[in-house]
Amino acid sequence: MASLPKRIIKETERLVTDPVPGITAEPHDDNLRYFQVTIEGPAGSPYEEGLFQLELYLPDDYPMEAPKVRFLTKIYHPNIDRLGRICLDILKTNWSPALQIRTVLLSVQALLASPNPNDPLANDVAEDWIKNEQGAKQTAREWTQRYAKK
Amino acid sequence: MSKIPRSFRLLEELENGEKGFGPESCSYGLTDADDNTMTNWNGTILGPPHSNHENRIYSLAIECGPNYPDEPPKVKFISKINLPCVDQTSGEVVAKNFHTLRDWKRSYTMQTVLLDLRKDMATATNKKLPQPEEGSTF
Repeated sequence: MASLPKRIIKETERLVTDPVPGITAEPHDDNLRYFQVTIEGPAGSPYEEGLFQLELYLPDDYPMEAPKVRFLTKIYHPNIDRLGRICLDILKTNWSPALQIRTVLLSVQALLASPNPNDPLANDVAEDWIKNEQGAKQTAREWTQRYAKK
Repeated sequence: MSKIPRSFRLLEELENGEKGFGPESCSYGLTDADDNTMTNWNGTILGPPHSNHENRIYSLAIECGPNYPDEPPKVKFISKINLPCVDQTSGEVVAKNFHTLRDWKRSYTMQTVLLDLRKDMATATNKKLPQPEEGSTF
């Protein structure tokens, strides 16, 4: 494998020495651009007490191109689809090379705390969230219990 | 080049398939939109012109196992077809008889497989092979 850019090495080191509360990110031994990630559901959100597994990959053009991130744990959230894809502006059009793995994962954690059902990601969950927010949050809590229990 | 993991590679292929990038002569998508392992796919090939396959649409089942794309997918015709690389009982594309699966490269995609199968249908010898009744399945 081609040698790893210094920037990625530094970011990885810092994730270990100075971890973000509620978030872990560890590279796979055989692919240092591929991270196994966990995010704790934020307190006060329907995801509280859940531990969510994600995967993150730094493409060849990183940091010119955004990391690729996906939920592995099933989650009921208006901005995350059934395949675990995340609708988050900084992962698409608003990516900037000044952002890092750490900031991306913090943004994902923030998205769990404040779902945005008005985002154009059209899916049945977003509709449910707009029509019946309490019911949708209850479903999200049930899914957290069922699929993301620590 | 670094190695893109299986899931992100399959998500890319899914997006290309959904957006209809690439040629119109083949298409593919997830069999079950809820399957987050993205293992089972269905594909179609539009029979090449000037052959006995002309105007026919062939359906296929594609299985991307846990080691895809390091290992080739398993490909099976659902529509009946008479081709040397296709097992005539199961519809399976026999890897040792089909160069794209036999000499698999990590850079190949499901689209590569479908387009190469279409090319195989159009070779001088294969395009004239008698074909089963249209619409029959394995």
